[in-house]
Order: sequence, then C-alpha cells, then structure tokens
Amino acid sequence: MSRRPIITATALAAATALALSACGRDDDAGSGDGNAAPSADLTDGPATGTIEVWAMGTEGELLGDFLADFEDANPDVTVEVTPVPWEGAHDRIATAIAAGETPDVSLIGTTWMGEFAATGGLEATPTDVFAEDDFFPGPWASTVVDGTSYGVPWYVETRALFYRTDLADAAGLEPPASWDDLKAFAQGLQQAGAQQGIYLQPGQGGSWQTFMPFAWQNGATLTDGDAYTLDSPEMTEALEYYMSYFSEGLSQDTVLQPGALEQLFADGSIGAFVSGPWHIGLVRDAGAADAFDVVPLPGKDEAPGTSFVGGGNLAVFTDSDNKDGAWKLIEYLTESAVQQSWYETATGLPSRPDAWEDGPLTEDPLVAVFGEQLEQTEAPPAVPTWEQVATVIDGNVEAAVRGTIPAADAVADMQSQASSIGTGLQ
Amino acid sequence: MTTATTAPASRPTPAGGSPGGRRRTLLQRRQTRTAWLLALPFLLLFAAFTAGPVFASLLMSFTDMRSTDVRTPFAVDLAAFDNYMALFQDALFRKVAVNTAIFVLVGVPLTMVLALAAAVGLNNITRLRAFFRLGYYLPVVTSIVAVSVVWRFLLQPDTGPVNQLLGAVGIGGPDWLGDPALALPSLIVMAAWRNLGTLMVIFLAGLQTVPRELLEAAEVDGAGRWQRFRHVTLPLLRPTLLFGAVITGIGYLQFFEEPFVMTNGGPLNATRSVSFYIYDQFSFGNYGYAAAASYVLFLAIVVLTAIQFRVLRPKA
Repeated sequence: MSRRPIITATALAAATALALSACGRDDDAGSGDGNAAPSADLTDGPATGTIEVWAMGTEGELLGDFLADFEDANPDVTVEVTPVPWEGAHDRIATAIAAGETPDVSLIGTTWMGEFAATGGLEATPTDVFAEDDFFPGPWASTVVDGTSYGVPWYVETRALFYRTDLADAAGLEPPASWDDLKAFAQGLQQAGAQQGIYLQPGQGGSWQTFMPFAWQNGATLTDGDAYTLDSPEMTEALEYYMSYFSEGLSQDTVLQPGALEQLFADGSIGAFVSGPWHIGLVRDAGAADAFDVVPLPGKDEAPGTSFVGGGNLAVFTDSDNKDGAWKLIEYLTESAVQQSWYETATGLPSRPDAWEDGPLTEDPLVAVFGEQLEQTEAPPAVPTWEQVATVIDGNVEAAVRGTIPAADAVADMQSQASSIGTGLQ
Repeated sequence: MTTATTAPASRPTPAGGSPGGRRRTLLQRRQTRTAWLLALPFLLLFAAFTAGPVFASLLMSFTDMRSTDVRTPFAVDLAAFDNYMALFQDALFRKVAVNTAIFVLVGVPLTMVLALAAAVGLNNITRLRAFFRLGYYLPVVTSIVAVSVVWRFLLQPDTGPVNQLLGAVGIGGPDWLGDPALALPSLIVMAAWRNLGTLMVIFLAGLQTVPRELLEAAEVDGAGRWQRFRHVTLPLLRPTLLFGAVITGIGYLQFFEEPFVMTNGGPLNATRSVSFYIYDQFSFGNYGYAAAASYVLFLAIVVLTAIQFRVLRPKA
C-alpha cells in the first residue's frame, strides 16, 4: 500500500485532537443565552417586513389564509406560512436550530419545549406583552423552562370522560364525582351490557397521558426543580388504582388498534373512555349519535379531577431577523376574538379562558366541558428529557397492568431510570 | 475491493508455470488501475457525502452529546467508553439485543430454507413457473405498510382469519401480536414470508447453473433424489447460499420496519430491536449514546458476516 492513507489518517487524527481539545462544557453553558431579560422591546405601530412561520398538520394548511386579516391590518407585512407534517416536524426544527436557519415563528408541540429551549434557540417571552394570567395555568406552564417562559400557548387540548348515556341510564348511574364513583360507574356500565366498562390505555405509546391524571389527582408530582420525583406513595397508590381496572376485568389489557375505540364505543361494547375533544367528532362519525355525553374527570374525593393538558405553543427563534414582527403576529393570534374565529376555522381550542366565555365555544355543550376541564390541568414538565422519561412511564404502566410487576416496583423502576436519565437541565 | 481480489482466486488458474512474471504484473497493474477507475465514482461520492458524517458519528459516540448541544457541537464532554459501558448495563438494551439475536438466528435459517424449498420446487416445474415466481416475489415489492395492515388483520385475536381457521378445527387461537411470548415469533414468520422472494430468485438462478451432466452422472451411479440434492446440488450452491445468508443476515440484524408498524415494539418490548432502540435514542436526543449503540450494531454485523464467510466459504 502507498503511504497516502497513513498521512490522511495522521491528518484526521490531528484534526480530531484539535477539535476535541476545544471540547468540554462551560459550567453555565446550558442556560447561558436563555436568561436574557424577558422583554423584546417591541416597537409601536404595525408589524413590517417578512415573517416566516412554520405550522404543522391542519394548522399549517389553514393558517396562511386565516392571516389575511392580519396582513390587511399590517399593510407592510408579508407572512409566509410553511406547512410542516407533524411526523418530521421535531427533527426539522432541531436541524434548523442547529444550522441557525430557522423561520421567525414556529408552532412547537408542548412536550418539545424543554429540549428546544435548552439549545438556546428560542427567545424568552416578553412578559410585558403576554401576561401569564391571561392564559390557562397548565398550558402556560408548558412554556416555562427552568423559570423562564419561551413561548405563548396557542391552542390546547385536554382529556375528559366520554360515556354512553343509554347504558348509564339503564344502570341508573350519575356521572362520577370521585374515584369510588368512577369504579362503580364502570362496573355499572359493564352490567348494563358493555363488554368493558371503561377503556383505559394499558401501556405503550402515550399511555402516561391517561395514567398521569390519576396520579396528579392523588397529589403525585413528576419533577421538583431539576430532579424527577416519580417514586412517591401517591404515585404507587394511583398506579394500584389504575391496575385494579384491569385485574377486575373492567378494561382490556391489550392496546386497541387505531380506529377500534370509536367503533366499539359506538356499538356499546365500551361503556366509557378518557380522551380529547377530537373524539367528539370521531364518535359521532362512528354512529354513536347522541347516545353519549362528556364530563370532566372526577377527582379522588369529590374535588374536581386534574387532567392532562397538551397542545401547541408559538415560539420565536433567536436566529429570527424579524423578532418584532414575530411577536406581533403571536400577539394577534392569541387575542381572544382571533382565538374564537380560529376555533371556527380549525377547531383548535383557545388557550385563554376569556375566549370560552361567549361566542362559538359556548354553542356545543360537549366542547364547553373541555373549557371547564381546562381550569384543572397539569402539563408534563418542560425539561429536555421528558419524552424519554414518558416512555419509561409507559413501559412500567404496561408491565404493571399486565401483572408482571407490583405497583411499588414499577414506580421504583420509573424513578431509578428517570434519575439516571436526568432532567437535562444541569 | 477485497471481493475484487478474492473472487478470482477461487477460479481455477491456468495450469503450468507462469508465462512470464513481468507480463503478469503489467496485466495486474492494469487491472488494478481499471478497478480503481470503476470504484472512483463511488469513492468520490462516499468521500464527499458519507465519510464526514461516519467519522463524526464515531467521534460523537465517545462524547456526551445531546440534541440540546446542536448549536455548540464542540462544547461537549469526552465520555471515553462511558456510552458503551452504559449500553451493556441498560436492561432494555440487553433485551433488544436478545430479541435481535433471536430474530437473526431463527429468521435467517427459516427464510433460507423456505426460499430454497420454493426455488427447488419452481426449478422442477415448467408450467406456471412464472406465475409462482411472481407470487413469491410479490411481498418483496409490496409496501411494508400495506403488508402490515393485512397481517394485523389476519392475526386479529377475535375476528382474524388465522384464529377463525384455528377455531374451525376447535383450537382457540391466541392474541398473536398481543402476547409477549408470541409477538416476536409472529414477526419472524411474517419477515420470512416477506423476504423469501428475493432469496428464491437468487437460489433459482444458482440452481440453473448446476450442470445437468453432474446430476445425471450421480443418478447413473445410483444416487437418489435426496442424495443428489445433498451431495451435488448443495455443494455447488455454496457461493449462492453464502451470498443469501450474508444479505439476509445484514438485513435481519437491522430489522426495524416490522415492529415499527405492527407492534410499536410491544408488548412489553418483546418485539423491540436494536435498530428500534437506536431510533428511539436518537429521537430522545441522546446523540452520543445512540451513536455508540449504532457502532455496537455495526460490529455485530461485521462479526456475523465474518462467521458466515468462514462457515460457508467454498471448499477448495
């Protein structure tokens, strides 16, 4: 062989050594650029220039036309909306932040906030323009990473209890108001003819969204500052309660295929389930007509039950060259009246309580129930490693529900894995 | 490059002494130059687009880089072999490694035996050969998503045709994809069904190179059907079998699509593979850790391939 490869290898090794000697974390690197003063010094007057916006799913398709009014009110502005599919959105935003080639504004899933904020790619929210009190507390909390808010809640979704009114009437049952009620409710629906009284997701992807509300109702917490606090008696007790639905045969312990839930609910095989507002339409399409109702989740003891809150936040990137216009656009999109007309356009639920008080959101009583539930919600912690810890919870919920480990062991395993993963906040 | 130099070695060299050392080296030199010329387009593309990321990912596997470091990729700490150590201490990684090993150790022989049986069968019929060849090959070209939807329907616990057939003969069929003990075997069977078409076509081509005279001579010598297959056909198929084993082994070690669309890795991680685990780790943002897991998988592929080359190499 010639000597060339050796020379190349030496050069590569030298380059590596150089690169690595520049390595090493600064002690305060993580939050370095994040702790800027939360004020954007917005100019007075209309927005100008070009504002690039990324939005996912239905939002991305409908937002461009929806912003015609904004462009009329701000004649010197051009808004360019790029629809991004949800599937690739996370990686696309991560890549854009890495390359410094971001849009000005993007819709960001609530569970991604911790990760993107920790890169230093997001601007802190100017709290002189956006007041925390104007928004539901759970959704606002999803924007706060390590004490600083990095975005504004745009639309929200939460979970409530769907149930068959015909079965409940046959069993002479009122909507449940406590954990004991809920258990009796599921038993009653099953005796009235349902194959399973209530379908609770038995583990796998996203089952923490069904399980955690029970834990929150029992006073359990996910984090305290920058440490996970999964291992608590409250968590164990909630998991035992959750498991009892499976051991007593009130819910099946295998995950339903997509689309099966609506069908089984519509034909009365499933008496109740916990889900979000999109299921109103799905259940009606499946043929349940008016034979069902939605109520807020019951708490453990008579008190209102806490539910999970998710949705989408709007954030401005540090690499944006039109931050002024970007925040003005977000200000517009989070106005109460605009949120109401956005609901009529894309059925996105408003993140501000005052948008629920009149107008279109009061017209459908089933939708209004979700407004009621929003007063009592928790968001998962906005930390960079949340998605990974969520799968740890999913896995342990699945194992516990299938009876392979006791609740206390499942909770202990959640904690030991979560501790070794860490919150990523340093 | 290695294949280019080893392949001619198995071919019989012309008998007799070399007709002149000088001429042979000239010829060899020319061949070497041609080989490099032919490899050049690939090498250029590899150097321009692949070498950098490959090298970077190897470095990354020795750091604690996470997705939150993307804006400052050099401000990460060196972790030496910490990622690799942590991998083998992770109970989930050990589980997915076992799942993958089972998938390969059961799946590769199963697929090869089925493909060889189909190829031998097709080699012996003349009518409808094209029809069956198409039939066996069709799953290979069908989208995995379509395949998985159909299989999920087939394997449904209550309404699926498989369990209804079993029910007709009085057997209560299990929940194939929902039972942790049966989900991986179900996926292995599906993967074998889906991939046997490719191997069958390759084996069919191999079978057609077996000289008819040899088989006839063996028949004259009194060898039965099985003996002819065992002692004439199979040895001649060795290179073809090796090729089949290598490509199937590499593919199966990286199996991902089947659990991704069919079971999402469940139940209880019974169908999660090493590739799936790496995919998860990358999406969790653990770039350094995921890169380390990728290199462990890469090493496993190298080792498996080396073993296959040893076991199945043509006998001199």
